[in-house]
Amino acid sequence: MRDVAIIGAGMIPFGRRDENSLMDMLAYASLKALEDAGLGDKSVNAVYVGNMGAGIIQHQTSIASSLVDRLSLLPAAADVVENGPASGGSAVKNGLLAVASGYYDYVLVVGGEKMREITGWRATDFIATMTHPLAEYPYGITLPGMGGMFTRLYMEKYGVTREHLLAVSLKNQEMGALNPYAHVEMTLDREGIFDSPDAIVNNPTAADPLHLYDLCPVSDGAAALVLCPLEMAKKLTKPPVLIAGFGQATDTHTLQERDDPTDLKAVTLAARQAFEMAKLKPGDIDVAELHDAFTILEIAESEHVGFFKKGEGGKAAAAGKTRFGGQIPINVSGGLKARGHPVGATGVAQVVDIVFQLRHELPKNRQVKNARHGLTVNFGGFGNNVISFVLKRVEP
Amino acid sequence: MKKEIAITAFQCKKCGRIHYPYHDRCLDCKGREFEQIKPLGNARLLTYTVIYNLPWGFDQRFLILGVAEFENKVKAMGQIKVDSIDRLKLGMKVRPSWEPVRVQFGEDVYGLKFEPIGL
Repeated sequence: MRDVAIIGAGMIPFGRRDENSLMDMLAYASLKALEDAGLGDKSVNAVYVGNMGAGIIQHQTSIASSLVDRLSLLPAAADVVENGPASGGSAVKNGLLAVASGYYDYVLVVGGEKMREITGWRATDFIATMTHPLAEYPYGITLPGMGGMFTRLYMEKYGVTREHLLAVSLKNQEMGALNPYAHVEMTLDREGIFDSPDAIVNNPTAADPLHLYDLCPVSDGAAALVLCPLEMAKKLTKPPVLIAGFGQATDTHTLQERDDPTDLKAVTLAARQAFEMAKLKPGDIDVAELHDAFTILEIAESEHVGFFKKGEGGKAAAAGKTRFGGQIPINVSGGLKARGHPVGATGVAQVVDIVFQLRHELPKNRQVKNARHGLTVNFGGFGNNVISFVLKRVEP
Repeated sequence: MKKEIAITAFQCKKCGRIHYPYHDRCLDCKGREFEQIKPLGNARLLTYTVIYNLPWGFDQRFLILGVAEFENKVKAMGQIKVDSIDRLKLGMKVRPSWEPVRVQFGEDVYGLKFEPIGL
């Protein structure tokens, strides 16, 4: 197997992009990554597109074929990778394995989703299609609803409080406000959403015990990467970032069939595999992008990947250990909470953000000093399909 | 007339693990033979939530949902018949019933509902 490097990374601002089609967004992000890679007119051998909902939302299928045509990348191989909210991570994985195997040299990976062109009612239903069609979906369960039930159990077992969740929300919004790619570029006021009598109006219950500002927004957006063998990458101008480790694991479709529903086994296994492959430990990571679709998930994942002991993640967040400048900065991009969550784009965007960090090219107020190792966790379903990457800066 | 709860769970004949929904192989021992069992008796509420952003197909202000464990250890999700989530507690006993849970294409879709006991 060959070592695989990321040589190009690009993203378009997430948010509500009424002026763009899904294909526009995929193309714009791809062009940014290709230009960043400095490959000129050299074509890529293959394209992997992470997307969950084009068939449902846009009534458009075979979007990878459309994209290579639009970008004049013919006759590159082209595939869509659908794995729910982990579609982006799965697309990166497919690109990684294709290059590592020696079959392809240059691969474009792009993730994108356009979710704001349908009503919230429809978008909620679209996301809920990943629940079990007999045992869950008919009841009207939503992913925030799953998050609410999980949060209640986590609070009961580990003493996580709303104050802990609030710390994640405030932190990620604060960082998102500094990120030009973020969907929600605004900070939150603790008084307004938590302490004051009006807080219940400003920050109403969404999926008890989760409130509105515990949830990520519904977003449009796209992000892209270009991969090639590390040896070839060393000849290019920008410092390559090595995909040092990768892991993926699955868990039961329904929460109720897990022996302990608070145990996110797939997160633990995916991260462990990624660390083992990279020959690194959680303590070696300088910056992480965790899948905070709900604030509780950032806390739970920070424990399951090994940054903190079980039950300590909430306290760590409240103590500022996961802030920019803290012990382990988590979601410096603003995370899903502020950068947004166009489901098919998220797993790619997380890697793009870590690439920016490891190339040391972010402004001072977001650049983790001397960042050398980064971790991502892309969480599909309700933890039933999780993908994790460990990325490593390659010194020139 | 009260309808029978139309859920079938599957107990592995080799190791005894109870599955709902159906799997082709046991999640513990990979066994492929199952005894079909019905959820029995009342149930115990394992977790719950109330959601305010409902999916397409639900024309109501909120929906209270939970997962409960029946007396014979079958676990299943259902809607909870209560006017406020404040009346619920983890571990409380609930009475199951089989009732319309949503309407699709003009037809009632039946499913599990749980009603707290002793409120």
